[in-house]
Amino acid sequence: MSYALQTLWHEKARYASGVLAVTFSAVLIALQCGLLLGLFKITSIPIDNTSADLWIGSTAVPSVDLGKPIPNSYITRLAGMPGVQMPEQYIANFANFTKPTGGTELCFLLGSSLDDGAAGAASVLTKEQREALTLPFTVVVDESDVKRLELASPDGKPKINGKEVIIVGTVKGLKSLAAPWMFCSLHTARQLLGFLLPADHVTYLLARCDSPERAKEVAQELRQHYPDDMIAYTAEEFSAGSRWYWLLRTKAGLAIGYAALLGLLVGMVITAQTLYSATAANAKEFAILLALGIPRWRLSLMVLAQSFWVGVIGLGFAVPMCFGLRALAMQFNTDVDLRWEVLTGTGILTITMALIAGVLALRSVRQIEPMSLLR
Amino acid sequence: MPAISTLPSLRGVNLVKTYGDGTARRAALCECSLDLYHGQLVMLMGPSGSGKSTLLAVLSGLLEPDSGQVLADDEGQLRDVWSLTGKEREEYRRKYTGFIFQGYNLFPALTARQQLEIVLKWGGDASGGEARRRSDEMLERLGLHKNKHKKPAQLSGGEKQRVAIGRALVKNPTFMFADEPTSALDWENGQKAIELLRDAAHDRGASILVVSHDHRILPFVDVYYHLEDGHLERREVPPH
Repeated sequence: MSYALQTLWHEKARYASGVLAVTFSAVLIALQCGLLLGLFKITSIPIDNTSADLWIGSTAVPSVDLGKPIPNSYITRLAGMPGVQMPEQYIANFANFTKPTGGTELCFLLGSSLDDGAAGAASVLTKEQREALTLPFTVVVDESDVKRLELASPDGKPKINGKEVIIVGTVKGLKSLAAPWMFCSLHTARQLLGFLLPADHVTYLLARCDSPERAKEVAQELRQHYPDDMIAYTAEEFSAGSRWYWLLRTKAGLAIGYAALLGLLVGMVITAQTLYSATAANAKEFAILLALGIPRWRLSLMVLAQSFWVGVIGLGFAVPMCFGLRALAMQFNTDVDLRWEVLTGTGILTITMALIAGVLALRSVRQIEPMSLLR
Repeated sequence: MPAISTLPSLRGVNLVKTYGDGTARRAALCECSLDLYHGQLVMLMGPSGSGKSTLLAVLSGLLEPDSGQVLADDEGQLRDVWSLTGKEREEYRRKYTGFIFQGYNLFPALTARQQLEIVLKWGGDASGGEARRRSDEMLERLGLHKNKHKKPAQLSGGEKQRVAIGRALVKNPTFMFADEPTSALDWENGQKAIELLRDAAHDRGASILVVSHDHRILPFVDVYYHLEDGHLERREVPPH
């Protein structure tokens, strides 16, 4: 065991505040980022819950909810391309929802083919729900939106764009951010949107490809061939693009980043102060090493090694805590996306923060003088 | 006692050190000169505030004098310690000097063996294996072999001071400076400590300067200096 780690272990109580500060910072950063990613996953729900590999939309559409109508005839641009299966139509558009009790809300209509194995049908829809949705003016909503839309009320009937609709079922896990998702058939979507969607137009064309690699190639080819009047994305690209767009657009990323930075600063100051005090407490032992001619940089290296280990131990506590808190958040239907990128980024940031704290604490080493042993 | 070399290993020449300014100015060392030889245990006594620790610090390269020279034997040549650069002086201390202070100043987290190893590894660039072997040898010589895995909290005061002596001796220094090495010990342990220092001087040829108030040490030393009000005087060592 290194001298640094051995000292840390021996003086656990002294270093505990530094370790806790690192843990606090790491948990804060990981959970903030995880919450943010979890939150913005909502913006790409229509993409992530279909099995389409390829999405064709209006030029430079930045997010799935901002697509403009494109001619249905674009389907010919896809048809016949090797490795691309039969394209499907997909309608995605905002609409006005009138609650049974009379109030209004904005909703988002998602009309797709409901056939078995359809690429555009939400994967959470059961066979029974898909069959029920084949009836005109029927929709399915997420159960988390039932209360908000006051669907349990026995009085009155809900309407979309002034037309009465029937809720034929609910799904789980497709929460909305602003406008509730309304899953329906292509026919219902067209009827409800009326003149908002020109005839022979759709919002997207979807297709499955033989492999994700082929989807990338096809998207690339289509972008090159038709740069002016449409855009082609792989599902991954469009999903990430939608999240990224809303992350930047809402400045939520900035706010969360600022909060995480504050957490880092607090952690750094506490860790630096802990290391400073611990080094100062061992000043006489360090002073004798200096008197014996041991270079000061050796002592500095030990303090930096201690800061590194404080970071590692703090992270060790943070990881299970993050997963515990995520499990707790899940109980309240809140998704915390702790993907490996979040955990790795948090680890790098936290260790860097601990090392900077170590550098700040080095002033205690600079203040040590062997002469102090003789006074 | 081995034959004393005719050439001094360390010479302090006309050393002057003052503290304070104006009316508060006080001379700690007034033209002090002394010679230390290889294989000698030298004692420096004097009342509190007489400048003993200042002289030790000046001779050991820790505190710069206002004037005068400290000439140290560097492989057969006498070099002025205070004409060296800071880095060279650090190197000089690393190669040639050992220190023992009143407090044991041992790292609480490290074992007795590690207290010695750290000096060799960080100061002498010894490999882990070599540092361990030399530390074990030194602890064996100090009668601490059974305690090598113990931390300071598990050692008695006398054992701690012996570890501190081992830490100073393990790199085999040419000069050793000890500031009140027995003051925190009972006489039995104090006597053991001073015997270890005497053996280090006589057996290993080191020049050892001990600053102390303790008259009971006098019979063990080879040379005795008295310092009072900054004036240094060599006195006869009382007969054993």
